[in-house]
This record gives sequence, C-alpha cells and structure tokens, in this order.
Amino acid sequence: MTRVVPYLALFGAALLLPLFSNDYWAVIGARAAVYWILVGGLNLVVGFGGQLAIGYVALLTLGAYTASVMVARYDLNPFLSYGAAGVVGAIAGVIVGLPALRLRTFYFAMTTLGFATIVTQVALAWQSVTGGGIGLSGPALPAPFDSQWGFYLLAVALAALVTRLSANVAHSRFGRSLVAIRDAEVAAEAVGIAKPRLLATVFLFSGACAGVAGGLFATLQSYITPEAFSFDLSVTFFIAILVGGRGSILGPLIGNIILTLLPEFAAPLVAWSTFLYAALLLAIVLAMPGGIAALLDFRNRRPLPANRSIVPQPLRIAGHGTARGAIELKNVVLAFGGVRAIDGLDMTIRPGEVHGLIGPNGSGKTTTLNVISGYYAPQQGEAFLGTTPLPHGAPQARAALGIARTFQTPRLIGEASVLDNVMIGATIEGRASFLESVLCLPRHRADEKRLKARAMDALATVGLDALADVRADRLQHSELRFMEIARGLILNPAFILLDEPAAGLSGEEIKRLGELIKAMAQQGIGVLLVEHHADLIFDICDRVTVLNLGRELAAGTPADIRAHKEVVSAYLGA
Amino acid sequence: MLAAILAAGLAVGATYALIGITYNLMFSASRVMSFTAGQLGMAGGVLGALFIARLGLPVIPGFILALAGCALIGVVTEYVAVRPVLKALDQHLYVLSTLGLALMIQQFTAIEWSTEPQPFPRLLGLSTTGPWDEKFWLPILACAVAVGGLEYLYRHTLIGRAFLAIAEDNFAARALGLPERNLRIASFALAGVVGGLAGFASGELLLAFFANGAMLNFLGFVPVALGGLGNNRGAVIGGLALGLFQQAANFIVGGVFASVAVFTVFILVLLLRPQGLFGAPVARRV
Amino acid sequence: MPTSAPEPLLTVAGLTAGYGKIGVLHGVDMTIAPGEIVALLGPNGAGKTTLLRAISGLLPWTGQARFAGQNLAGVSPRDAARRGLVHVIEGHRVFTQLSVADNLLLAGYDLPARDRAQRVEEALSYFPEIAAKRADKGGALSGGQQQMLAVAQGLVRRPKLLMLDEPSAGLSPVLVDRVLSVAAALRTNGTAVLLVEQLIEKALGLADRVYAMAQGKMVLEATTSEANLPHRLEQAYFGQDAVPALG
Repeated sequence: MTRVVPYLALFGAALLLPLFSNDYWAVIGARAAVYWILVGGLNLVVGFGGQLAIGYVALLTLGAYTASVMVARYDLNPFLSYGAAGVVGAIAGVIVGLPALRLRTFYFAMTTLGFATIVTQVALAWQSVTGGGIGLSGPALPAPFDSQWGFYLLAVALAALVTRLSANVAHSRFGRSLVAIRDAEVAAEAVGIAKPRLLATVFLFSGACAGVAGGLFATLQSYITPEAFSFDLSVTFFIAILVGGRGSILGPLIGNIILTLLPEFAAPLVAWSTFLYAALLLAIVLAMPGGIAALLDFRNRRPLPANRSIVPQPLRIAGHGTARGAIELKNVVLAFGGVRAIDGLDMTIRPGEVHGLIGPNGSGKTTTLNVISGYYAPQQGEAFLGTTPLPHGAPQARAALGIARTFQTPRLIGEASVLDNVMIGATIEGRASFLESVLCLPRHRADEKRLKARAMDALATVGLDALADVRADRLQHSELRFMEIARGLILNPAFILLDEPAAGLSGEEIKRLGELIKAMAQQGIGVLLVEHHADLIFDICDRVTVLNLGRELAAGTPADIRAHKEVVSAYLGA
Repeated sequence: MLAAILAAGLAVGATYALIGITYNLMFSASRVMSFTAGQLGMAGGVLGALFIARLGLPVIPGFILALAGCALIGVVTEYVAVRPVLKALDQHLYVLSTLGLALMIQQFTAIEWSTEPQPFPRLLGLSTTGPWDEKFWLPILACAVAVGGLEYLYRHTLIGRAFLAIAEDNFAARALGLPERNLRIASFALAGVVGGLAGFASGELLLAFFANGAMLNFLGFVPVALGGLGNNRGAVIGGLALGLFQQAANFIVGGVFASVAVFTVFILVLLLRPQGLFGAPVARRV
Repeated sequence: MPTSAPEPLLTVAGLTAGYGKIGVLHGVDMTIAPGEIVALLGPNGAGKTTLLRAISGLLPWTGQARFAGQNLAGVSPRDAARRGLVHVIEGHRVFTQLSVADNLLLAGYDLPARDRAQRVEEALSYFPEIAAKRADKGGALSGGQQQMLAVAQGLVRRPKLLMLDEPSAGLSPVLVDRVLSVAAALRTNGTAVLLVEQLIEKALGLADRVYAMAQGKMVLEATTSEANLPHRLEQAYFGQDAVPALG
C-alpha cells in the first residue's frame, strides 16, 4: 500500500492548491494536468514499450482541432467533443504506431517526427476547416467548469484517472509484456507474447489519452493556432518520461510536473527552457539512465547478502497435465547461405527424458534448438509435436503448445523484479482482456493473484524465492540462469529446451542444476539439454545425440556415447 | 517551368543527398544514426552567414571557417553523444543522446542567432538568373565535389581504406591494430565538413535559419532510408529523386500536400523495404 | 617446463576476464618462450578465444601479463601489435570490400609509409596463392584463401608472437596443412606461435608444447613428446577423471 502514498500526496496537494494561490496558478496547474493526460498514456509507449515516439504533439494537435471543429462548426456538446477527440486520437495513435512493428528505434522516431511536421502543415493549409494560421476558438465549457479553478479541478480529476488506468496496465501482464518487448524481445516471443496486437492496443490507449488531452488543451488555450503545437512541446513530453525513468509511473509524473513548472520559477530562463530540457535529456542518458524513478527506488539500494547460494527445491515441480507425445524432427535441413547448419537430422525428444545434444562448435546444436522453438524454418523436413507439425517460424506459438526454453545468454528484463521476470513466462495464461486490466476488474485481479502464486512456486523450485523482489539486473550470472529456468517452469511446460544452462556456473551450482533437471524429467517434462559440460551430460541424460557438421554422428545412452570411438575423435578433432 | 522544377529539385535534392552522406559517414564509423546530421547542415548555413554577411569576412576564409566549425560540431558529437553510449548494451540510448545534443544546437542557434530566416550572402555574385542562378547549381556542384572527394579518399588513400575497414568489421579492424577511436573521430569531423558543405552551398536557397536543422534531419534521412544505410551512392540517387519529386509535387499540388506526399512515400518505402531500395536484408539475431 | 627458455616471451599469471557479468577465465597461467609453437586446446566454451582476446587487449582483464619484458596491463590491440604481439582472430574476417593488397596495407597502417609495400610483399611471399590475387577483393577469395590473407595480415607486422585462433575452421584438410605449414616456417625465423585448434592431432604434430583449458582454467600443460598425452587430453576434454584430479 505504500505504493500509492506518493500519488495520494501529489494529488492531495493538487486539490489544496486552490486554497493557497491565485488564478494564474490555476492555468499553470491545469496545463501540467493536461500534459500529464497525454504523457501518462505516452509513458506506456515510451517508458514501458521502449518505442521512441518523439512526435506525439501530432496527436495533441489532432485532438485539439477535432474538439474545436466539432464545437465550432457542428455545435457539439464540449464534453462529447472531447470524446470525439479521444476517438480520433486513438485511431491516429494506431496509425502513427504501426510502423513500430517493422521499424527500429531511429527509423521509428523519424516517422513520428515526420508525422508531427505533416499534421502542423495540414492544420496550416486546410484553412476552410482549421482557420489556417488565424486559428479557431477551443471548446468552451459550461459552469462550473468555465472558471479557471473549475477547469483546473476537471483536468486534475482526469489526470488522476489516467494515472490510475495507466498504473493498472503497467501492473498487468500487458505492462510486463511491453517491458519484455523493450528489453528482451526474443524472450518475449518465446513466452508467446503477440507483439503486433499488444502494441496496437497500447497505441490505441495512449492515442485516446493524447486526443482527450488535445481537446482539453484547446479549452485551456481558448484559441488555437498551429503555432501552439510546436515540436518543442513534443520534446518536452518525451523528455519528461525519460527524466522520470523508464518503466515507472511516478517518475514521469514528477518529471512532467517539474518540466511544466520549471519555467515559472525561473522566468529569465524561459527562452532557454527547451535548451535546458535537451541538456537534461543528454545528462540523464549519460549519467543517470534510471531517471527520477531510480533515485526513488530505495528498496533496490539495500545490499544483497554476499554469500547467498541457490538451493533448488526440485520436488515442487508440477507436471504438465496433458502429454501430447514426443517432439520429433524428421529429416530437417537448414542452410545459411551455402552452409548446411543442419543436414538431414532425425531426433526424438520424449516426455520425461533428459535428452542431451552435444557436438563441436558450429555442429548445429543451437540451430536445432531454434528450429524446435520456431525461430528458424527448416528448408526441408518437419518438426512434430506428437503427430501435429510445429508451425514454422512462429516462436510465439510455442508457449501455447507447452514448449518453453532458455537462452545461451540469459534474456532478462534488467529493470523489472525477478518475480516480474518469471511472471512473463505465463503471459499466455492470463484470462483478462486489456479492457478488464485497464479497469482492474475481478478477472484481472484473479489473474494477478494466480500468476504471482505460480511465479513464487517456480522461484522456490529453482531456489530463488528469497530474491523475488530484487531488480533482476542485480543478480549474479548463475542466478539469472536459474531465473530463466523458473520462467520456463511457470508455464508447467511439457518440454523445456535448455541452451547451455551450465555455462558460467560453479561446480556446486552445476550439481544442483543437474538434480533440478533430473527432477523436471521425473515429473514428466521432456528436457532438451544443449551443453558443453560433458560430465553433466553423461551424468544426467537418458539419451544423448552427438552432432557433427549438422548431422547425427551418434545417438544412444551416455554409456554408448562415451565408448563411441568416432565421438571421441570428433571431439578431439582427429 | 520544367527547367525551374529541375533546377530547384536537383538543388534541394543535392542538399538532401549531402545530409544523407553525413548520416552515412557517422553511421559507418560508429553504427550510430545521429540527429545532429541535419543540424550540421543548418550550422553550415548559419556559420556562413555569420562569418561572411555579419562579420564581413571574404568568401574563402568564411567558407573555411564555417566548415571548420561544423567539423568541430562533428567531433563534439562523437565525444559527447556517441562515445559514452557505444558501450551500453541498450541499443537505443544513442537516439536519445544525439537527439539531446541536436536540440541543444538548434535552440542555441535560435536564441543566439535568430528565430527568423536570415539572408545568406551572394557567394559569387554572378549575374545569371532563372534556372542557371548560382543558388541552384552551387549545391549540385558541392554534392559532386563531395562525392568525388570521398571516392578519391576511399580508393586512393590508406586512411580512406581504414574508414571502409572500420565500417565493415569494427572488431576485426581493432584486432588488426587500426586506431579505431581516432578514425572514428576523424569520420565525425569529415561528416561535419560534408554536412556543413551542404548547408553552406545551399545557403542562398534555404537561407540561414535555425529550423532548417529539423527539416534537413528528416529530408536528409529519407535518402538514407531509400538508399540503404551506409550506401552513399544510394543516398545521392535517393536525394536527387526526393528533391525532384518534392519540387514537382510542390508545383502540382502545392507545398503542404507535397510534404504529405513525401511523407507518405517515405513511410511506404520503409514499410515495404525497411532495408532500403538498394540494401540487402539483415539476418536475425537469436 | 622443460623446453621453456629462461626468459619467456609471454608470461600470463592469474588472468581473469569475461564478458560483462559473465566470468569466462578464472585465473589462467601460461608462458611462451621465444620461437616456440604452443598449441592451446580445450572443448568449446573453455575460454581459449577469450584468453587470446584478453592477451591482445581486445577484452579488459585483470591479473598479470608481460610480453617481451613489458607489462601488458591496459595495452590496446594497436600497442600490442606495435610491440610484436599479433592476434589473428577466428573466422577469417578479412575486409571483403577491399583488395587483398589493401587488406595487407591496412595491417601495416602504423608502419612508416616507405616500409609498407615491402612488408606486404614479404607477407605475400609466404602465400603465393593469394599473391596472384592481390588486386581481387577480399570477398572474392575462397574461405581458405581468406584465412591465408588473415594470417598474412598478421605477418605484415613481423610479429614476435603470432596468436592464431582456429586457422583451420571450415578449411579442407589440404588447406589446413598449407596454413599450418606457415607456422612451422615461422618457427625457423624465431617467431613464436600460439595456436588455438580444434584439430588436435594436427596441432600436436606441429607444436612444441601444449596447454589445454576447460571451464576457464588451465587443466593441462605438457610437451607434445609426452607419451601419456592422448589419455590426459581425453580426460581434460571429457572431464570425468580430470575434475577430481584437479580439485
């Protein structure tokens, strides 16, 4: 509950403002609130989703003109005109956002910047509707909202609402998925997150926020011209989020307040304000990438116990309910350029068995794993689960089939807690829709409770439950490996594919890992183990396949393999 | 009239192409797309007007000083906004650091120079007018000189080959003992010169105006997106095509809708061929 | 260390290195004498490439390392190459857009301009196959020729110690012998070679001494003449008996 205290304090102070100050501050305060309605939505796109939308002033412009035109020309009720602005903003938000599905960072930033330029130019040119450079008046509200303080309180109430809604999204599987896309996109695919749908929904939401903010902005300004929507304003929104800190709501809220109020306290600096914001952006990026949120994150400044060890409790693993049969590769061929990375491979991974996959560098081990988990589409042959073919090149479809995996380099969300990192693994099991999550309806709350309990179980299984609340980037490398296994186990998978899980672990940790893997198999999970540690492989595998140059060199029990002359010589390179 | 479209289109197109090359030069040395590329073009125009029109220097020293100033901005970009984030795992930090620096340059110019477009001096004072006016052919000449100069650098000098080596495989270049950091600084200085040249040569056309930076940032990036990252030939073709398209659309449907048309084409090309019209697709990374 | 000269060329002691959080090398010791060929073996992921990168300054490291009487701490790859410590990285990564001759000229970037051409010719004299293709682009060469070019790039510096990382990877047996024969030729000039190889028999046939790594540590050091070597190597690779023995 301490989480809400800062918000209550901020909005409580906002409610007290009318008692202490004059009308001028009502305008400034209302401006901060209106900006926050946009920034609060944009925060999900930029701060959580990591999409560098720098031209959001375009949506503010659209919202402002929509509301003003609706009132001025069609005599619409001003509140309904805000609704219309929200709808236009939402549609435009999706249009602006969709390129993010194909374009990365700088490219996407450029498209939003281009869009911002265009909208202003159209507003200037389309005189018959927008009044061109002369402008038009914004929607005027009826009493009691026609006074400065009346409008102020309306804006603050809506700002509080946006805060609550965006926090609901942030603390749902949708918020976690956004951060996963931002920091660990490959892992996000492996756990079944559908990026296009998620991003479209979030762009819709933040576009609606921006549109409504535009309508309110037009009322606040009482008269709008294209000049009011400068690119500087867009930059201010964007910088408020980064100054506040990515993946936080409170930080950007404070950042937004500071950036709006700063020029009021330092009048001589008004002309330099954008320059100072830009300098602030540079300073934040170079010196304090966590922003205000990192400053406020007292909990993660406490030192962690130095001599902690990972003690898995393998007995807690829940088996997978329905076994759909084995994973089977039939005559799989995959070539990169002229090189055949996999050259006609047959392999069967059975439920309840540990299947080791070894071979020299470049023999095709990880490539095989990537075919099974859907990152690569084989050029010939087929991978089956039971009798159904696994869809090619669709990694996000694997989680639903009960196939989990880990990565050679742990893919983690450094700024999220260990618990959140594990909960990501069961994203597809959430039942509440985005709307239910936004409104924090019962199904959403049930989802959160259930997923949290399962994540704690999975963490206890791998022996990391004591670190559940710690930011993941504070963990040691070996702990991250176990965390990834927990992220797989939360799914109650039928199969788990482990890509070099022992790399970088100490001898003792490797032993515990081995016991954990054996316990997984005993509960009916099929394990594919790609490893270099030959001793671990020979110790725990039921079956071993040795690859060389993309083909099976040998297959059988560890004892068979150990005695196999060709294997020894392939390893020793003779 | 056709001649006017051609002259204006090729002139602005050559300017966009030069900014595109500026992006490429910085990218090749560091894998960073920098928002300062367009600002360098703006600075070339403003510094030229400052040295020649306001301070009264002759054209040649004014030209050299303007380019030197831009080279300095390029080096500052490397030191302030690029080097500190190169090691960061987070790949998009450079977008933010270069954006911050670019905005600082732009705002500084707006406050200390002017927020209104200022006239740029006549450089040669030739009496030709119409499509043959110097303001049209100077940017084209500058583009040709820059492309020729870069070609000479890459083909006939060791440092030019070292630039190519770093662009192709930074790690291998480092392992070979090439002074990668110095070469990167040199690349950014060179990018500054090319960007400054774009702004200086097009000064009579675009004037000395702080907002040119943002405009060139976008319109100079379009040729890069069309031609493929790091591909200078693609940037020149893309830049000239963009300039002609923009001026033709300007004439046919009017300025505002010309911008809409440019933007639409840009988005479509990016969505259909993210690697550019002349680029090769990039492999996946699992 | 029977064949070690009294004054080693390279001494590494307690070297630790890794990538970010991931520790790869946990206190590695090694010495190389002038003019000897040392094979560095070990299974995948043991840390051989990381060790080479640390020594040549491509990766930060802690511990001690001296080369030719000077401390290597904080030395960049460029400085290392100037001192005669040259690293030919894995995967024949030559510059495909540049000609063979330009690839070699770049290797001599720090040399006085008047010496460059001569050094390039000298390096090419080891590889007549690519000398004939000096005007061709690096990308037009076959994998084996690219590897020769990569080794030739290393030779332009006239190294005291040449570190070759898997020069045989992806090459046909004939080409492997061809590349490795150059290492033997270098020994006669007094150049030391540190050879990372997967082809163990080839490496042992060439080397004077051998080191083997596993899990970021040295697990074996021997002369190649030692009788029990194959068995000890197998233990080092498969770990079963070797792990308790090394404690």
